[in-house]
Amino acid sequence: MNAASALPSVELTRNRADEDGPVRIAVKGLNFYYGSFHGLKDVNLNFHDRQVTALIGPSGCGKSTLLRCFNRIYSLYPEQRAEGEILLDGENILDPSIDLNELRSRIGMVFQKPTPFPMSIYDNVAFGLRLYEKLPKAELDVRVEESLRKAALWDEVKDKLRQAGTGLSGGQQQRLCIARTVAQKPEVILFDEPTSALDPISTGRIEELIEQLRDEFTIVIVTHNMQQAARISQFTAFMYLGQLIEFGPTNRMFMNPAEQRTQDYITGRFG
Amino acid sequence: MNAPTTIAQTDRHRPGRVRQGRRVADRLLRVSCTVATAVGGLVLGSILIMLIIRGIQGFTPALFTHPTPGPGSEGGGIANAILGSLVLTGIGITIATPVGVMAGTYLAEYGRGSKLAALIRFLNDILLSAPSILIGLFVYTLMVRPMGTYSGWAGGVALAIIAVPVIVRTTEDMMSLVPSTLREAGAALGAPPSTVIVSVTWRAASAGIVTGIILALARIAGETAPLLFTALNNNSWFSPDLMGGVANLPVMIYQFALSPYPNWQGLAWAGALLITATILVLSIIARLVIKPHTSR
Repeated sequence: MNAASALPSVELTRNRADEDGPVRIAVKGLNFYYGSFHGLKDVNLNFHDRQVTALIGPSGCGKSTLLRCFNRIYSLYPEQRAEGEILLDGENILDPSIDLNELRSRIGMVFQKPTPFPMSIYDNVAFGLRLYEKLPKAELDVRVEESLRKAALWDEVKDKLRQAGTGLSGGQQQRLCIARTVAQKPEVILFDEPTSALDPISTGRIEELIEQLRDEFTIVIVTHNMQQAARISQFTAFMYLGQLIEFGPTNRMFMNPAEQRTQDYITGRFG
Repeated sequence: MNAPTTIAQTDRHRPGRVRQGRRVADRLLRVSCTVATAVGGLVLGSILIMLIIRGIQGFTPALFTHPTPGPGSEGGGIANAILGSLVLTGIGITIATPVGVMAGTYLAEYGRGSKLAALIRFLNDILLSAPSILIGLFVYTLMVRPMGTYSGWAGGVALAIIAVPVIVRTTEDMMSLVPSTLREAGAALGAPPSTVIVSVTWRAASAGIVTGIILALARIAGETAPLLFTALNNNSWFSPDLMGGVANLPVMIYQFALSPYPNWQGLAWAGALLITATILVLSIIARLVIKPHTSR
């Protein structure tokens, strides 16, 4: 059975992976534990600079767990721990001496459910900027507008920047969260199923947005939606039961997977 | 093997009896619930009606402008008790708010999942339902005895001790309702925990926390027992000296209602109505504060 036949006719040529491009994040021998549960087992993987890498796999396979290692957000929960190495530009971010807040200002994250803070649209975007940069008001205004433009939200909210961010629609809220993340000018943006709570039109807009953001940021996205992975990513990693099964350029992964389990998953035989 | 089949079959053949049984049980429950509600409503309603009828007669301008009259004399008001109650409640809530909100924040944020937090939460729940006269006696031993005098300060502290557990509990509950993804989103932007708590979690829970404070205010506005041993009373005009006894509505009501003088009894009714109305208004404000947020 040909795996590609299960895919919609998606144009994959535009998404050609730059396999020789520089590596931004290198994961080496990563193990992750939820208490005594071994969530990630010896994961080794490279993420390329300014490319979109999709993490796919059935629920509970560890793809979100892997994503949550890159900004060490798991450390909010004392029973969770990671072992091994994650090198961001050669620096091991799992090192206990790393300044977590500084790390998180370099690696942004967008969550499954939109998480606007209970404050105005403007303050939502300015939140991250006010943390580490003391900007004069005029410059802050510029940065907020620039970020909202990058998140393709400016035209919809420019006349109501002082209104509550929670009053926006779900898709707008998610773009607000992207604007808030982009505002900090991170190097990497992590997306944890960013469209699974959104309608198809909002999903389309977010996907377009991720395409554009790729010019500037290295992107890692967890998705349950195989078509989405095929549409927007240049690299795909397939995970199963806490292990990395296969990794490669998205085209090859979907057209000609090397592993039987990858083929079974992307053709919908399990998962 | 045969027996269960036959039972199942016979059951299926007489659905009427089963349904009728359920219908009777349904009726029975509905009737007993309604009766219980009616009893509760009647008791509450008769108290309120009585309070309004007897209290409204005393609602004259003098009530708010004159201090409590001497025993057996006519006229007078309860201005000193009103002012004293405001001051005592003010002291109580001013002390209790920061303590309660901070402690509630500790339980919801820093101490989440810890044994110490579980212990504190348990003790707080005990304090929440502790008889208020015990708290009056506690402050009596703590402040009134060493200082050698009943005082407004002691009254305020006693009221604060009653308000703290209420505020701790509501603050913790409201902050626990804030989804953890919001905290994660704050942390993911590189915000330290203190910033996340102040700018995100408190804000998200603010309506609930304010409601808790208002409800605590309503609770202590009518407390009598803790004041009997602390602020006691003062029949003269209100003085700003909080080192002596301070007049207040609950103790005034207690003393005047037990007195043989009709004038004092009338003032007690008026004072009781005033407190009840105040608590009603506070409760309404609390509901209004929380409403626009929950409907979102």
